[in-house]
Amino acid sequence: MRNRLKVLRAERNWSQADLAEKLDVSRQSVNAIETGKYDPSLPLAFKIAAIFGLPIEQIFSADEAAQAAE
Amino acid sequence: MSCEVPENAKHAGRRYTRGMMIAGLLYIGFVVLGVSVIRHMSPPQWLVIVLALLPALPALLMLRTYLIFFRALDEFQRRVQAEAALITLGIVTMAAFSYGFLEEWAGFPHVPLIWMIPAVVITWGASAFFVRLRYK
Repeated sequence: MRNRLKVLRAERNWSQADLAEKLDVSRQSVNAIETGKYDPSLPLAFKIAAIFGLPIEQIFSADEAAQAAE
Repeated sequence: MSCEVPENAKHAGRRYTRGMMIAGLLYIGFVVLGVSVIRHMSPPQWLVIVLALLPALPALLMLRTYLIFFRALDEFQRRVQAEAALITLGIVTMAAFSYGFLEEWAGFPHVPLIWMIPAVVITWGASAFFVRLRYK
């Protein structure tokens, strides 16, 4: 699964630590999600979407869909 | 403010440290008590059994402390710990299984089962370190 977490975070000038604090998770968790090495659970994905004020599909996308769009 | 871990995990971390310290002190106390009584007082067999089982109580306390800590972790950290636990299960049980054959068939020196918990703790710590590296 791909995500736009890094871009969205940079747009808001948030560090990984800032986002981690908002999500109540560890910074390592944010890093693992950003780098695509860990896919968050649905509840955490919804929480991320709520924090950025975006629909979940504008943050996360399936690999195949992302490749097809390119 | 450090945000390496969320606030509830920090609180859980303090509880974890406190719980492990209490369990460690209890363990030392029970071992010293057991060794002293067995060596110097020639206790009856039932008392030797009781004394031999006492160190298991702080070991159970350690397990409880760890489970409370585990539940306070976020989902990613729980994944890391769970993977480390599975790797530990595989390594320690395979090592014990293989060494059992070496003892039985090849005359290797006997290793008491008392070393099982230290083996688990050390392997778990090393496994968690390497699992974390995978996600960096």
